[in-house]
Amino acid sequence: MEAKHKYAFYLGCIAPNRYPGSEAAAIKTSRKLGIELVPLKGASCCPAPGAFGSIDLNVWYAMAARNLVLAEQMKMDIALLCNGCYKSIWEVNHKLKHHDELRDGVNEVLKTIDMEYKGSINVYHLAELMYDDKIVGPAKIRDSVTNPLTGARIAVHYGCHLIKPRKDREFEKTEILNTENPTWMEELVAALGATPVEYRQKMMCCGAGGGVRGYDIVHALDIANEKLINLKEANVDALTDICPFCQLQFDRGQIEIKEKFGVEYNLPVLHFCELLGLAQGMSPQDLALDLHGISCEPFLQKVL
Amino acid sequence: MKEVLNMAERKTKKEISSTKGTTTAVKKQAPAKLAIGEQPAAQKEARIGVFICHCGTNIAGSMDINAVQEYAKTIPNVGYVDNYKYMCSMPGQAVINKAIHDNKLTGVVVAACSPRLHEPTFRTATKEGGLNPFRFEMANIREQNSWVHMHDQEGSTEKAKDAIRIAVAKASLLEDLFPKSVPVEKAAMVVGAGIAGMQAALDLANAGIKTYLIEKTPTIGGRMSQLDKTFPTLDCSQCILTPKMVDVGRSPNIELMTYSEVESVEGYIGNFDVTIRKKARGVLTPAEAAAKGIVGGGCNGCGDCETACPVIQPNTFEEGMKPRKAIYIQHPQVVPLLYTIDKEACIKCEICVKVCGEKKAIDLNQEDEFVKVKVGTAIMAVGYDIFPIENKTEWGYKRYENVITSLEFERLICASGPTGGHMVRPSDGVAPKKVAFLLCAGSRDNTGIGKPYCSRFCCMYSLKHAHQLIEKMPGVQPYIFYMDIRSFGKMYEEFYYRIQDEGAKFIRGRVSNILEDPVSKNLMVFADDTLLDRPMKLEVDLVVLAAAVQPSADTNRTRKLFGVSCSMDGWLLEAHPKLNPCGTTTAGVFLAGACQGPKDIPDVVASAEGAASAASIPIHVGHVELEPYFAQCIEEKCAGCGMCVNLCPYTALALIEKDGRKVMQVTEAKCKGCGTCGGFCPGGAIWMNHFATPQIIAQIDAFLLGGEH
Amino acid sequence: MAKTKGYPEALETKLRDRYMYGDDSHPEFTDSVEKISMSIPHMCYQCGTCTASCPSAPRSSYRIRKFVRRVVLGLENEALTDPDLWLCTTCYSCTDRCPRDIAPTDVIMAMRNLAFKRDIIPVNFLKTVQAIYTTGHGVPNNDVNRAARVKLGMDADPPTTHTYKEFIPGIQKILDYYKLKANADRIVKEREG
Repeated sequence: MEAKHKYAFYLGCIAPNRYPGSEAAAIKTSRKLGIELVPLKGASCCPAPGAFGSIDLNVWYAMAARNLVLAEQMKMDIALLCNGCYKSIWEVNHKLKHHDELRDGVNEVLKTIDMEYKGSINVYHLAELMYDDKIVGPAKIRDSVTNPLTGARIAVHYGCHLIKPRKDREFEKTEILNTENPTWMEELVAALGATPVEYRQKMMCCGAGGGVRGYDIVHALDIANEKLINLKEANVDALTDICPFCQLQFDRGQIEIKEKFGVEYNLPVLHFCELLGLAQGMSPQDLALDLHGISCEPFLQKVL
Repeated sequence: MKEVLNMAERKTKKEISSTKGTTTAVKKQAPAKLAIGEQPAAQKEARIGVFICHCGTNIAGSMDINAVQEYAKTIPNVGYVDNYKYMCSMPGQAVINKAIHDNKLTGVVVAACSPRLHEPTFRTATKEGGLNPFRFEMANIREQNSWVHMHDQEGSTEKAKDAIRIAVAKASLLEDLFPKSVPVEKAAMVVGAGIAGMQAALDLANAGIKTYLIEKTPTIGGRMSQLDKTFPTLDCSQCILTPKMVDVGRSPNIELMTYSEVESVEGYIGNFDVTIRKKARGVLTPAEAAAKGIVGGGCNGCGDCETACPVIQPNTFEEGMKPRKAIYIQHPQVVPLLYTIDKEACIKCEICVKVCGEKKAIDLNQEDEFVKVKVGTAIMAVGYDIFPIENKTEWGYKRYENVITSLEFERLICASGPTGGHMVRPSDGVAPKKVAFLLCAGSRDNTGIGKPYCSRFCCMYSLKHAHQLIEKMPGVQPYIFYMDIRSFGKMYEEFYYRIQDEGAKFIRGRVSNILEDPVSKNLMVFADDTLLDRPMKLEVDLVVLAAAVQPSADTNRTRKLFGVSCSMDGWLLEAHPKLNPCGTTTAGVFLAGACQGPKDIPDVVASAEGAASAASIPIHVGHVELEPYFAQCIEEKCAGCGMCVNLCPYTALALIEKDGRKVMQVTEAKCKGCGTCGGFCPGGAIWMNHFATPQIIAQIDAFLLGGEH
Repeated sequence: MAKTKGYPEALETKLRDRYMYGDDSHPEFTDSVEKISMSIPHMCYQCGTCTASCPSAPRSSYRIRKFVRRVVLGLENEALTDPDLWLCTTCYSCTDRCPRDIAPTDVIMAMRNLAFKRDIIPVNFLKTVQAIYTTGHGVPNNDVNRAARVKLGMDADPPTTHTYKEFIPGIQKILDYYKLKANADRIVKEREG
């Protein structure tokens, strides 16, 4: 099938270096949905908005701009699969397009490595493309499913940096601008044949961002723990997200929570791309689900 | 450097004016104009007096008055220059008066504030000096100069020189003009019959003025009739309102037109021709029935039709919390007591027609009617609506059943409301134990979603709601989430004291979001108790949002018909917020009540009485003077093309036959002097009084040529 | 010390001078925060919507509202030396809801930038800098993951700076332009020896 939509695929760090199944799934599932993801060669960390933004925003602008220039040179819009990366790559692109002074400053730095930011491309999150029926849309996703995840109760963690703050964001689909009670991801989950499940404090943060996971892990885990309590109450089989850093926080975080707080949840945490891969017939091995901190087995037994 | 630039500029400017040659060409028009019988004013040697006001330090503090005065002496046609600390004071005006006599001045220029403030003052001074008052021109060197260039002494001095030179150029060419006096129709109109419109109409009627009261809904009474009790006195709202409603219904001077809307407005102060659309209510009044020859017929409000009607609709008066039929009255105390058919909902089953029987009051095929009336003045009292608070998604209105608005609270606590005054929560009909009130819900909001202004009466009605809960339902705990309690009115702070004493808990923090327990439907309210400096999570049974208010839905359409301006946020704009709060920039049109901005009942009534008083003045005087700024046709030049007639936004122009050819004629009273026709006329045949082409060209030349002639 | 009435240290702390003095306030602090954050914290009316939205507030003494207040009053020292400054998870809930259209999250980020200029910064932030300087990644690849990638039929390293190492000098130039690596190395050495 000829891909109608081509994007430079920006990987970030955690997906390729911790959950490579997400990367594999993103490429494979997108191809089935008419999206070709072309490697963005030489991309670096976005860089992490919490860490770098906290130290010196100017470095954050310049480093993100370098990644943007790589895509500009390919003359392709960027697609990515991580909320944190979205914050860096989309927001710096947006800021540089709208603030001349900022752009001039960044270009002065980029000149030292023979690059120039032009502002010629756009940045999209894969989830947003999946929901946009002009690109993919829930109907097309439903049609691509060969192994419906029937009977699985799946909760969604939206994360923060894709949609918040809504006043700065611009999405084709206005449903994504709903930051208080969004349901578009649930529509995508339902398209896979699963049962989307609501739970308390759905929009609460995972607790990892802003450098807090590194600065005060107990504090960060306590936030994740509150969400896990609410998820347990909702009796879900799995949690899905669209951000590998949130995934890391909930997945590896459960092990740390068990160590530090002595509570165990054993809640499988899957990136939406992994979930989509399963529904399109990819095997757990194709998705390297064994790399997850929390075993996906009970969930897999339900859906395979 | 500056000098060089100026030279270059001057050169270009000279080139512009010499190549265009308009100056001389247009100046020759003045005699042509004189041929139609005006004073040859501009032809006399012009001697202009220039009077520079210090306005204390408002002007003098930001510019060199002496330098301006010395410069003014060098301007052509200037015969006298003076300055004074306050030109508008009695001694200041005396300076003008004396100078006109002593120096035989032909025109006066005062360089001071905006003409909006003191043009009338100085016109009078000019007149007292023996000149025609229209031989006065004002140069604004305060609002447009010293106030905005407060820290640029040199720049503001130069700008003041320019402004005076320009004003002198115009003053040299000004002519004697004479205001037109037109009779005022001895009738008034009030649009909107809430408490504001009712009060204004009653005052006008009691002053002996025939008043048309137009209301778009089927009954008068407005928002106030939806309220249960009123703060701080706790009077029952309906009890104090219904006597007024009855008075309105009975007043011989009030012609009440409910279920009606203003369709179009023509004319001007003293003579507004208003077309009213009487929407087809599908029901005949006894008078209408009689006119159709139905003896003893028409609606008597018996309600048999309502009982029989099979269509069920949400009742908007009850904020949708009670059903009503397709044929309905909003509540038992409506004025006029007359049923109305909701045409959208009616299925034309004709059951109502049958049960109405011999009264023959129901006419399902009735159509809208148009009625024309003539009035001298009009008052807009079109009220307010509740902001759609569901747009602030964090509070979950319309998503959570037990989050309601204050207006819904009013209906629920009201004995005549959908629950007979039993305060229950919508989800399960159970009486709440803990109730959270959210103040500033959508008000004081700069996000672009809510409203930036304070809605002004929410603090007080929320205090009242807390009181009503405590009084009616012992054991209920009200929590009031506030940022500031604004209890500014008479006895309001005392009311705040009382409610605090009664046991309401005040939490100084704005609620960030609300979550609903999906099973119990209880609500978790999140806020920061900013005084304790701790985030709080409070489970309540019911949340009441004190939602912001906004101009009513039809405000924008209606205001355009009357030519009334509105501010950025859509509220109707008064002529002056302090000194002319009821007037508008359209002469003869006044504002009453909350259409002008959020107001509580005492303020609304006061404003309505003010508007009624203001609107009655021209009617009692019997005539108004119109500024003589109308267009005039120079008939010898008019080719009778008629283009101007179509352009005129006020239908003031017409083509007439004269001496065997067509020429344009102006209805002077209708002309607003906007200049559309004068600017367009290809033959230069239209003379705009006081803004004539030669006068304006002279101003432009005076600016571009920098005083060189 | 009869004065202590049985609460030796607590009382001494209690009796400490707690006035806010005029010269505690540095208006230029407010200005720098506004410039870096591109926001308007001076418009805060202290409604607390931010703190009530904050996932960190209920489990710590971190109060975003108080940090914004410190910016309004120019209380630079008090703001930058408070360890709570680093408890913001940047979830942007406060920014999303602030009725005054302030971006409190960005205000916090600006204060962290200013703190870094005074060498006030938790070490974990600097370690991310060091990792990116050498590999281009904040979270670099490891052997377990390489094996897994190969098993998936992918290259052991992703097509990022991991594979295309020729891009790393460019990244280093950018970081060196801001002397970020040198400062990070210096501070980490001072803390950890």
